[in-house]
Amino acid sequence: MPATAVETVDSLKGKVPDDEWQARVELAAFYRLVAKHNWDDLVGTHISARIPGHHDQFLINPYGLLFDEITASSLVKVDMEGNVLQETNYPVNAAGFTIHSSVLKGRDDVVSVAHTHTVAGMALSAVEGTLRPVHQKALRFYNALSYHGYEGIADDPDECARLQRDLGSNDAMVLENHGLLTCGRSIRSTWALLYNLEKCCQVQIALEASGGEIIELSDEVKDSTYAIFQRSLQSNSTGSKLDGWESSLRLLVKEDPSFMH
Amino acid sequence: MAATAQNSRNTNVPTKPGVKDMVSAEEWQVRTDLAALYRLVASEGMTDLAATHISARVPGPEDHFLINPYGLMYEEVTASNLVKVDLNGDKVMESPFPVNPAGFTIHSAVHMARPDVACVVHTHTAAGMAFASVETEILPLSQTSMQFWGRTGYHAWEGISTDLDERERIVEDLGTNRAMILHNHGLLVAGPTIPASWVLIFQLERTCKTQLQAMAAAKAMGTELILVPDDVAESTAKGFDQTMQNAAEGKTTFDWQAHLDAMDMLDDSYRH
Repeated sequence: MPATAVETVDSLKGKVPDDEWQARVELAAFYRLVAKHNWDDLVGTHISARIPGHHDQFLINPYGLLFDEITASSLVKVDMEGNVLQETNYPVNAAGFTIHSSVLKGRDDVVSVAHTHTVAGMALSAVEGTLRPVHQKALRFYNALSYHGYEGIADDPDECARLQRDLGSNDAMVLENHGLLTCGRSIRSTWALLYNLEKCCQVQIALEASGGEIIELSDEVKDSTYAIFQRSLQSNSTGSKLDGWESSLRLLVKEDPSFMH
Repeated sequence: MAATAQNSRNTNVPTKPGVKDMVSAEEWQVRTDLAALYRLVASEGMTDLAATHISARVPGPEDHFLINPYGLMYEEVTASNLVKVDLNGDKVMESPFPVNPAGFTIHSAVHMARPDVACVVHTHTAAGMAFASVETEILPLSQTSMQFWGRTGYHAWEGISTDLDERERIVEDLGTNRAMILHNHGLLVAGPTIPASWVLIFQLERTCKTQLQAMAAAKAMGTELILVPDDVAESTAKGFDQTMQNAAEGKTTFDWQAHLDAMDMLDDSYRH
């Protein structure tokens, strides 16, 4: 168990409202799941989640900790201007803050935002062209994936409006020459979106590299599948059994319960 | 190796107590082996969160099958929480765990048409989905791939559908093969025993990865793939036919016990 960083932070359990504590535990679990899949980038990239009942406050990682060291209590509460709202020994990363606060400010429906620098995500983000709607998973993002051009390290507040414009009403975005972003109506749905988008990138890289002729789907299959995903999104906007979320949390507890500290 | 309590690291796994006493010894064995297969597939990273399924036929004349409890990650599947269903995906034994009937459609199609099949595995891996989206067939590029050469069916994707008519087309496309590429979708294997299905899905996954990489390398190098001559590929595939026949006759269980022993040392909760 990575003990040092875990033990030096006092537990906030019982000191913050129960719904905030639950969000902290789930967000810490999200960081651990990303680490488990090797989709982390040392201390880079961030995952954020709103504080329940406080629309203008959110949780983000303590900058300097590895994802598999992050715990419920070490997550840092900030407001939309970047003011830190709790005692912490850790700073918040300005560039990460810009991307996350832009999405949360621009999208009232979004509860959580995830961003990664994976190999497949960065590779696809550096290639001209869009995600091909050629399999079941990619159709989740059919006509529903945004693209944002790279402007340098995202510490320019003016980029905020352009991030919001490019994201529009979608829940996933390719940050060109940079990585991936997903934003869902719950922490678990943001995780499922990230998982599926990452896998789509892995598929497309392998598919394109092979040089083989691609089996295109008919418009009818594409449209009907996309419609099924949209209906499912409306009835299960905060998560479905397919994401295995409760199960994943139990498995994390089994492997290393320190995320709940 | 005997399972011991201290190896049950997964103490909070959802189980259904008492199932072992309610089913035949043969069914309990199938449940244990199927739960182990779920864990092996998970350990190889071939899962898709809680989506996709592996099913196994329950011994006996009833056309009953075991499938995973919907919503659980493969790492939490155990012998007792597997759900027993009929060909329609309806539960035939009380269980607190839900099933995903839509996900069972592909499986029931195969089980209906192929009583020789004990276990069906379906995956949505990145390599599998990529391979399934390329206009190609399994090529005789390696010994591994040759076990599927001429022994693989191809089925066009019809969208997410609970259309039971598709079952007829699945059966037709699978034929007597032991593997099927579900175009624009994923992979499927149908083996004569649970250990055989494990070996098949492991090897089919590797076959897809290998072929995609070989195609990419050949393209980048501006050279051609080296294809083994048809007669050599056929005789190699026939050797694998015999291996599958041996498995069906109980003459080989591959290295199944070694897998179980390795799992028991780390986490034997699949047995619960």
